[in-house]
Amino acid sequence: MFRKTLVSLAASLAFGYTVNAQAAGELNIYNWGNYTNPALIEKFEKEHDVTVTLSDYDSNDTMLAKVKAGGHGYDIVVPSDYMVSIMIDEGLLLETKPNEMANFSNMLPNFVDVYFDKGRNYSVPWQWGTTGVTVNTKTYAGDVDTWSVIFEPPEELKGKINVVPEMNDVINAALFYKGFPYCNSDKAQLKEVNDMLLSAKEHWLSMEYGNVERFANEDIHAGVNWNGASMRSRLQNDAIRYGYPKEGIGTWADNVVVLADAKNADNAKLFQNFIMAPENAALISDFAKYANGIAGSLEHLDPEFANAPEVVPPAHYETVFVPPCPQEVNELYTRIWTNLLK
Amino acid sequence: MVDRLHIKPFDVRRQPGFTAVAVLCFFMLYAPMVALVLYSFNDGMSIGTWEGFSWRWYQSAINNREIQQATIRSLQVASFATVVATLAATMAALATTRTRPYRGMTFAFALINQPLMVPEIVTAVALLIFFAIIKGATNYTGMGYLLAAHAAFCIPFAYLPIRARLEDMDLTLEQAAADLYATPWLAFRRVTLPRLLPGILAGAMLAFVISLDDVVITLFVAGPGQETLPLYVIGQLRRIVTPEMNAVSTLFLLVSAILVTIFFLLSRRK
Repeated sequence: MFRKTLVSLAASLAFGYTVNAQAAGELNIYNWGNYTNPALIEKFEKEHDVTVTLSDYDSNDTMLAKVKAGGHGYDIVVPSDYMVSIMIDEGLLLETKPNEMANFSNMLPNFVDVYFDKGRNYSVPWQWGTTGVTVNTKTYAGDVDTWSVIFEPPEELKGKINVVPEMNDVINAALFYKGFPYCNSDKAQLKEVNDMLLSAKEHWLSMEYGNVERFANEDIHAGVNWNGASMRSRLQNDAIRYGYPKEGIGTWADNVVVLADAKNADNAKLFQNFIMAPENAALISDFAKYANGIAGSLEHLDPEFANAPEVVPPAHYETVFVPPCPQEVNELYTRIWTNLLK
Repeated sequence: MVDRLHIKPFDVRRQPGFTAVAVLCFFMLYAPMVALVLYSFNDGMSIGTWEGFSWRWYQSAINNREIQQATIRSLQVASFATVVATLAATMAALATTRTRPYRGMTFAFALINQPLMVPEIVTAVALLIFFAIIKGATNYTGMGYLLAAHAAFCIPFAYLPIRARLEDMDLTLEQAAADLYATPWLAFRRVTLPRLLPGILAGAMLAFVISLDDVVITLFVAGPGQETLPLYVIGQLRRIVTPEMNAVSTLFLLVSAILVTIFFLLSRRK
């Protein structure tokens, strides 16, 4: 295999680019790195006789910069929730009307009327997840569906907590816990949040990313965490549990949209419809291990994944997307955050 | 009179703290890479917990179609950039050394070395905007932009070693050739070029490695399906990082090390 690869490498170096078999159409997808199942692309290429070119980006901002400059050549990008609304406001997206497409009926109802694209005139969900709490149940046997394990930790968790250093995730969690509205500029309420975070921090061990191994190795026993990361820890250590705080929990979603200056808009629309079919949405999740927002897709997946508590939320879970806040709110948040990191 | 023979000559290696500073510097330079290479042989999924020796991540990296394509593209772009940049740099070096100093020569020197002085992100954003205008006007969206950008920013890296070599070579041999009725072209081909060759090779190798490594400019300039290997690696980082990344990085390190070794050996051979 290795030799074959070397030979093909040398051959394509010598003769220039590998020439693809001619297909009727083209489609240029620009997505997050390591996020697209090659099997999904191959299936789409076969079904619609389209050659797909996949490119990767590493952040919403890189993608936005290239799209805004123009002349990029991409048809489809996969922005996160808040970025969809920014792109719609800037007129960068094509109104493809996914809500009139054949497979639209498969979209889960709680993903249709989202703030960033009410009624889904532009976007189709790709994958989504939540920012909740991870707890080691060997250390703490109590209720995990609450932010109190982070903000007013029980004795057994003190000094064993890691909080991801994401300003919005942490402050939103605190607002949820206090029952205050998000994008909040009420000084008295923010003062309470600030004081609570400062006193909670005394019981935190660290504020770091990359905690899959640390949970699995029991270096930390509770923390603010993402559902996908929490699941990877649990697969290595049965005692790990992901909690959906009943006070409220933030949801994020990445979405497939078509650019206003797409050259292959028709194929891009075909792709939007294609990924709303349950068996195709299942391919997305099978690769990147997040849920996808299409009803019936879980039945096509490995039951161990499809029934995982990190993927299927409990009954009390409500889908809440926290929109980007106005500038003055951001400035207040930044002050709280600076206090906290001091 | 002070007996000068008994004063120890100054030796930086005998200064207090020299060993500590040197060890610290080498540690910071090489320890992370040693860790990276070690974990590329990890049998587990983790880049932090050792679970035994295995080649599995090398196999998966080598068989990964995206990595193959990105590697081929990186090598193509670097090869093209090297040839163009080295040719341009050689001509520029000749024009700024094999001549009497003229007005504006320092200015020309500064212009050639612009990519060394302008922050890379500035060049990248400027290229993004500039190329967008050209793309709008011509509708051409191929590899040309990436190739042109790489060739351009590689020029000073090829230029510096070639110019350094030329400055070490005085004009006596060329004058002798001219005395013996060699035409300027013949003197260049038979006298200047062979003596300059180690400098040119050094410049070419440097340009190749610089192009292979580039992230910032490539990130902004690359269009659909024009991902180079460093871009592929960056794109992976937001998701689960497995030792496959270590394996790719180790192979990349190996290629860079081999090239630098070749350059070193060639430039030593006079």
